[in-house]
Amino acid sequence: MTIASELLTQTLLAVKAHEAQLSQRDDRPCVEQVEVEIGLMRLVVPEALEMAWQVVCEGTIAQGARLSVTEMPLSARCRLCGRTYEPSIDNYQCPQCNEADMDICAGNDIILKTVTCRLCEG
Amino acid sequence: MKINVVKSVLEASDTMARENRDRLDKAGVTAINIMSAPGSGKTTLLQKTIPVVMRSGRCAVLVGDLQTTRDAERMADLGAPVVQINTGRGCHLSPAEVARGIDYLDLSAIDFLFIENVGNMICPVAFDLGEHLRVVLLSVPEGEDKVAKYPTLFQSADAILLTKMDLAAALNYDVSCIRDDLSRINTRAPLMEVSAQAGTGFQEWLTWLAGQRRV
Repeated sequence: MTIASELLTQTLLAVKAHEAQLSQRDDRPCVEQVEVEIGLMRLVVPEALEMAWQVVCEGTIAQGARLSVTEMPLSARCRLCGRTYEPSIDNYQCPQCNEADMDICAGNDIILKTVTCRLCEG
Repeated sequence: MKINVVKSVLEASDTMARENRDRLDKAGVTAINIMSAPGSGKTTLLQKTIPVVMRSGRCAVLVGDLQTTRDAERMADLGAPVVQINTGRGCHLSPAEVARGIDYLDLSAIDFLFIENVGNMICPVAFDLGEHLRVVLLSVPEGEDKVAKYPTLFQSADAILLTKMDLAAALNYDVSCIRDDLSRINTRAPLMEVSAQAGTGFQEWLTWLAGQRRV
């Protein structure tokens, strides 16, 4: 729910920032689709986020908007040998030295990529 | 019309966590986020730890639960300030709640801040609170398979405590399963076996803790 709410806030701010370009006479923008990238380390279940998204969007200009989720893989850098590699969520061993002592470089982000709008009456 | 945004959705949360860490750094406080399932012994660990820390330094506790002040009451008489945070429906502490908790403390008067997170093995992992270190507890009655089942929690740990070790013999507990799973998940964090009931293993934990003090 936290993530869905923050996503809606960022979406509405993006629309607000482009309001002048989006609005025409009496028509106002409403959100059709939102694209988001989610790192696997965040443990977000896309289906659960989509459900929460629909709930938080009710009564807003994003009501009914499609949420397109792309899951982003992990990237790690071994603290011992320096090798950069792609661990899986259940195995973080470095392929070079076999130790699981790493810094996670990617896979923690949740990025709002695009907001697609159309014009609605009134 | 498609608007390109490319913005971190949790930017507000991550910014607040950084602000918390800055406040703690400026005051020379080492903050430790303690995470585990409910009932693994987080509060009991702190009840045993606080009196020892208070002998050579000073500490404070922020403790998160959905409801009640019971954990704060358990730690009230140990000589350290304790702030209970009730998250209501929240399944993890947020950096905003930690910021409000810190407001109640005189940071210049403490060396360690223990943040006892809401008992949960999933959601707390994803939220940086502004801590410097993460300590994860796993109790013997939870079984031997939790490291493999909840890898991200154990991957993020700087130290792992296997608690309630006095029950290991009765439950025919095999610690080698934990060590084997950790060889794939986290080989950096020390695994310390403790029992509050038997009073064993605490010296290793206290020595590790003393070595983490930042100032």
